[in-house]
Amino acid sequence: MIWDLYLVMPLALVFIGALFLMLFSLVKQVELTNYNLVTVAFLSVSLIIELIIFQNVEHDYLFETIFAKMFIVDKLSTLFNILFLSGAILTLLINNNYFKSRDYYNGEFFALLLFSIFGMMMLAHTNELITAFISIELASITLYVLVGYNHHSPKSSEAMLKYIILGSLAGVFFILGVALVYGVVGSTYLGDIYSYLIHHQNSDISLLVVGMMFMMVTLLFKIGAAPFHSWVVDVYIGSPFPVTMFMATTLKIAIFSILLRLFLVDFAPIYPLILEIIKVVAIATLLLGSLLAIAQTQLKGMLAASSIVHVGYMLMALYAIGVGSSFAASAIIFYLISYFLSALGAFGILSFLASDEEKRHLSFDDFKGFAHERPYMAAAMTIFMLSLAGFPSTIGFLGKFYIFMSVVETGEILLAGLGILIAFISIYYYFKLIALMYFYPSPNPKKRFPFAISTLLIVGVALMIVWGGIGTGLIPFVAGADGLLTIASEALKTIGK
Amino acid sequence: MQHLLSMILFLPLLVAFTMGLLRVSIETLRMATFGSSLIVLLFAVVVAFYFHLDGGMQFVHNSPWISHYGINYSIGIDALSLLLLLLIALIMPLIFLAIWEEQRKGYFYNLLLLQTGVSGVVMAQDLILFYLFWESMLLPIFIMIGAYGYGMRHFNAMKIIIMTVLGSMSMLLAIIYLGYTHYATVGFWSFGLSDLTQLAFDSKTSILLAGAFLLAFAIKIPLFGFHTWMAPAYSSAPTAIVVVLSAIMAKLGVYGLYRFGFTLFEVPLGFYTPYVILLCLIGIVFYSIHAIMQRNLKRIFAFSSGAHLSLITLGLFMTNIYAWSGGMYLLATHAIASAGIFLMIGMLGRRTQDIQIAHLGGIASIAPRFAFFFAFFALAITGVPGTGGFVAELLIIIGAFKYHFWVGVVAATTMLGAILFIFWTLQRTLFGTTQEATKHFGDLSAIEIGILTPLVIILLVTGIFPSLLLDFLDASLSANLEAFKGGVK
Repeated sequence: MIWDLYLVMPLALVFIGALFLMLFSLVKQVELTNYNLVTVAFLSVSLIIELIIFQNVEHDYLFETIFAKMFIVDKLSTLFNILFLSGAILTLLINNNYFKSRDYYNGEFFALLLFSIFGMMMLAHTNELITAFISIELASITLYVLVGYNHHSPKSSEAMLKYIILGSLAGVFFILGVALVYGVVGSTYLGDIYSYLIHHQNSDISLLVVGMMFMMVTLLFKIGAAPFHSWVVDVYIGSPFPVTMFMATTLKIAIFSILLRLFLVDFAPIYPLILEIIKVVAIATLLLGSLLAIAQTQLKGMLAASSIVHVGYMLMALYAIGVGSSFAASAIIFYLISYFLSALGAFGILSFLASDEEKRHLSFDDFKGFAHERPYMAAAMTIFMLSLAGFPSTIGFLGKFYIFMSVVETGEILLAGLGILIAFISIYYYFKLIALMYFYPSPNPKKRFPFAISTLLIVGVALMIVWGGIGTGLIPFVAGADGLLTIASEALKTIGK
Repeated sequence: MQHLLSMILFLPLLVAFTMGLLRVSIETLRMATFGSSLIVLLFAVVVAFYFHLDGGMQFVHNSPWISHYGINYSIGIDALSLLLLLLIALIMPLIFLAIWEEQRKGYFYNLLLLQTGVSGVVMAQDLILFYLFWESMLLPIFIMIGAYGYGMRHFNAMKIIIMTVLGSMSMLLAIIYLGYTHYATVGFWSFGLSDLTQLAFDSKTSILLAGAFLLAFAIKIPLFGFHTWMAPAYSSAPTAIVVVLSAIMAKLGVYGLYRFGFTLFEVPLGFYTPYVILLCLIGIVFYSIHAIMQRNLKRIFAFSSGAHLSLITLGLFMTNIYAWSGGMYLLATHAIASAGIFLMIGMLGRRTQDIQIAHLGGIASIAPRFAFFFAFFALAITGVPGTGGFVAELLIIIGAFKYHFWVGVVAATTMLGAILFIFWTLQRTLFGTTQEATKHFGDLSAIEIGILTPLVIILLVTGIFPSLLLDFLDASLSANLEAFKGGVK
């Protein structure tokens, strides 16, 4: 019981924090920064406990006497929780100035954000489909509100409506899928579905497969894979910067946490049936995402479209899991971490600029001469772009390298070749930004480096990206390129069937 | 001693990082940059001093980097690497001297990063490490062309990066496949060059893999057909980068071909040999004709570089000892001569603000020292007797005749073509009557002569005592050639 309480602490802290902030937000005199700090405090404590749990958890269930086996606690879920929490902390701290520069933020924003994180953490722990559905919806519904948080902007409301209608429609498929699966198996536990599939290999399981495909549709929609990707660009552009940042990094990881669990456990017996679909989806995502990214005129749009391409790479690795690659799963986790850091930094710089200069829609032109105005920030942005483009000496390169490795391992040289071709295309739109920053004279005089928590964090993330790309065991206790992979594969080992 | 190479490699990077962090003034930055390049030169000379001529790969250092995939930080040098390392270490301080007056800090940071990149390429013995340096040397070039260049600099910067990255990406795919095959056949991961040479492939796969590597190097050299980035990039780039492009980067293409192409793919390269030789021969003639047609000094010498690099590549594919030692010899002497000529074009450009030949003329009468040095480097490029280029080109042409009569004949036209366009250029630039742009042409200053003199001395020494450098390369080249021939049979 005590052990369970210990394991549930991070989750409970986030939930209590959310409730506390909801009540706290009624107090009118509190400054926005204080809300932010309180939120970060809750998240940080939760993160620290989660880090300790990661060291000594193997395979456990939360309150088994009450919830049966609904919530699993293993290294994988803990690792994902660590990512959500650090993502949320970084998002909040980096955007501290941005919150202050806009008048529509208040205490509820932080409460909603915490609820969303609570949903994601539940999702990482889930071992059962109904819980998964509830967690996804909890994470999403709060996000619907957050997307439309800028109530002065019609664009923001439009984005919210688009997201809420399409998102709930997609959500319906999941519950339909769950119903079909339950109809066949008579249980919604991941383990039960797996053992049913193993024991009924010769009987007709088409209904079950259809159900699972429906669930897949929802998940593919939520990560923004083709052909369900059309919402991504509009919603990302319409939402406020902190929310875009949160969606692009943290939400994506959350959906991958359940996708990975489902795929590694339940889908394992029916790989032959679905692999072709995954492959086609991956290829389509890569191609359509690249096309979209080239066409964007707004920076936010380019980053949004490029996030679709990054999903394509991870789907490629998902396909490789199915074909039998032993590294693909850890490659996905590594890629998630690398994308998480790079995108966080890139969006962070955008929000830093938007908070500084009252620029609502950052277009490419706003970056003209940025390197002469703010050399350090431009250097950090260059690192983020290089990492997103997969240029060597950044963590993004290793992320792509591991994925291509795992695809080549399955013998799909052409697929890896396509991936490399897409990476080549991406050089164009990422380097366009670098070119703009360095090639044009700056209209404004050179500014001093603004020492603030947000800018220091951005530089810190940039250093982490370089460290992740070239780091070795030189510094003990700091996970470099090698350590992260070890952590990822360690986490995957604890996943039970 | 053991870490000497690592120090050469990372000193410039470290200086760039520290200086950037401390936000030093331009004067400090200039001194630190120049100082670091001198220290690197000193280290490189020390390395050369302790280098054993017949010792194969030396100063080897290995430490694990990504142990999951058997990727090591593995560096070492043999005779050719050492030659290129010395070239880089020598040319960089001269570049820093040449841009001494420069007020934009970006110049120094980018060149420091570039130095680390190019030094890494010649040292790396692990394919992923090699790829890392190979790619990262592009970024400073991209930024410098785009930010400090001339003409259509944005477009040309994008063009050079897109084209060269296309090559490197195809190489990356091949590297990944090689690494995986090593895992599948031997049982553990490795990307080390010495491990990967042990692999055997069926002929179709190996031809594809060799092609992927060849593409990367062909774009970098550039061979005929892959050259469209060359002239625009040369004409847009600032002096410092033109020197690097022609004296170092193009040579690294040949180096990569020698180090990785010929070591990993002995047999399949035979499949490509006729095509590459054809491209080289077309290139020699085509670039020479183009050089004659150009109106811009930088473009003339860009195409002349192309012609000589085609000749070097031709020498490499002749696979006999004459052509190989000639090729390596030309690699060194052409690097020195073209560094000299492009540094001088930069000096000329600073004086006249114009490097169109039509606007120049009469320089010899008012600036005799300039004319002397300019003519010397130009002639060194054509390979007149007495300069190192002569010996080198002669050796390659002998090798080419040994390979096939007509190949030898076409290869020999390099010298003819070079003499044609160089003399014509010299006549129009240095002689004749002075024009508006050259009316107040100042002669070379003491510093400028100081920059150019070491290059002149090296060219003369290599020309008069060719055996110095040839003996230096001979042992390593014949060993590799034997290994290569053994692989083919």
